[in-house]
Amino acid sequence: MLVSEDRFGFDSDSTLVGEPGALTGWGPARRPPRLELLQGPGAPREFNLLAEEIVIGRSSQVEICIESQLMSRRHAALRRSGPDVRLVDLESANGVYLNGVRVHSAGLLEGDTIQIGDVLLVYREGG
Amino acid sequence: MPAYVRFWGTRGSIPTPGHQTRRYGGNTSCVELRMDGALLVCDGGTGLRELGLDLRRRMPEGVEAHLFFSHMHWDHIQGFPFFVPAYSPESRLHVYETVPGDNRVQRLLHGQMKSEYFPVSFSELGATIDARHFSQDELWVQGVRVRCFEQPHPGRSFAFSFEHDGKKIVYATDSELDSCVCDPVLREREPEALRRLPPDLVGFIEGADLLIADGQYTDTEYPAKRGWGHASAATAVDLAVQAGVRQCAIFHHDPMHSDEVVEEKIQACRARAAAHGSELIVFGAREGVELKL
Repeated sequence: MLVSEDRFGFDSDSTLVGEPGALTGWGPARRPPRLELLQGPGAPREFNLLAEEIVIGRSSQVEICIESQLMSRRHAALRRSGPDVRLVDLESANGVYLNGVRVHSAGLLEGDTIQIGDVLLVYREGG
Repeated sequence: MPAYVRFWGTRGSIPTPGHQTRRYGGNTSCVELRMDGALLVCDGGTGLRELGLDLRRRMPEGVEAHLFFSHMHWDHIQGFPFFVPAYSPESRLHVYETVPGDNRVQRLLHGQMKSEYFPVSFSELGATIDARHFSQDELWVQGVRVRCFEQPHPGRSFAFSFEHDGKKIVYATDSELDSCVCDPVLREREPEALRRLPPDLVGFIEGADLLIADGQYTDTEYPAKRGWGHASAATAVDLAVQAGVRQCAIFHHDPMHSDEVVEEKIQACRARAAAHGSELIVFGAREGVELKL
């Protein structure tokens, strides 16, 4: 995991999730898809999504660790295929809500909100 | 045992690719249900093509699927000739006829693959494809109780109810609910009042964990589309409320509706359910979303 120097207009850290090599392909004028953490422990914060699979959870072993008691240790995954990112609930206790509806999985689009307990994230497409 | 529902096509009437419909999707009707090992497919609109590609990845050894067609209008069958598992000798597909003594599903699946319409004939498909018939409006598929119910729609259409292990899912698209409200005068005079629907229809849907309902139009649009076989989303909400449904997916979005218009329609539906004092969860069926019930 790398912590970026680039703040992208955010007041707090932006985190690159994935291997540095994965940056290849996102040219200087392009940005990878990312998640904005708007509410919950650690907010505000931004995560750039570079790896093919990124897990969100409470465990320190996952790529996006958010220390909320309502979050399972491995709560949800973001699976990237080319420019597309799919959100998948990893059989979590409290579920994943996409724009207010509990889902098992869904392809993400610009501006989608993801609610996990007291944590609110917004998906931003790359490009 | 959970049930899974995935939307592969949610658009009504005609595919609508493009930026304006990206969020809810442009493929026509196709919904995948998985209940305890049974793979059940509702309608074969253009979304069926995407499902077929995904099944080939998930089940490379061959697919066994049960296909239920609400009716045979183009937007519900166009994906079938592009359904990759239909070309595989390892696949077994079961299609279900709803009208006693009528083989319209087989006939029209064959028909749309005549050389005038499509370069590959039905007889060239590699899969084993058999037809089964509903008896007494009910049958069992791998432990899943499936019932059908005729709906108001030009040329006839059918809703399907799938029940297994305490879970009930109803797929009810292409239904002009507004044509069968019990008190049409009240509907016009007090549009905010709950629109009572026939008890047999309400009973068919009663207690569903998920109702996938035709809600193509807004109330404002409906009068100009009367007789076209589709419902006002407000009336679909009222049906769900009366039937004690837990979640209602508004489906068969109008091809003229951009994502913003669909979003406004859904917000109005949520406000209506709340105004009825209901805890019904309403959302717009969106391509690519999978639910676990």
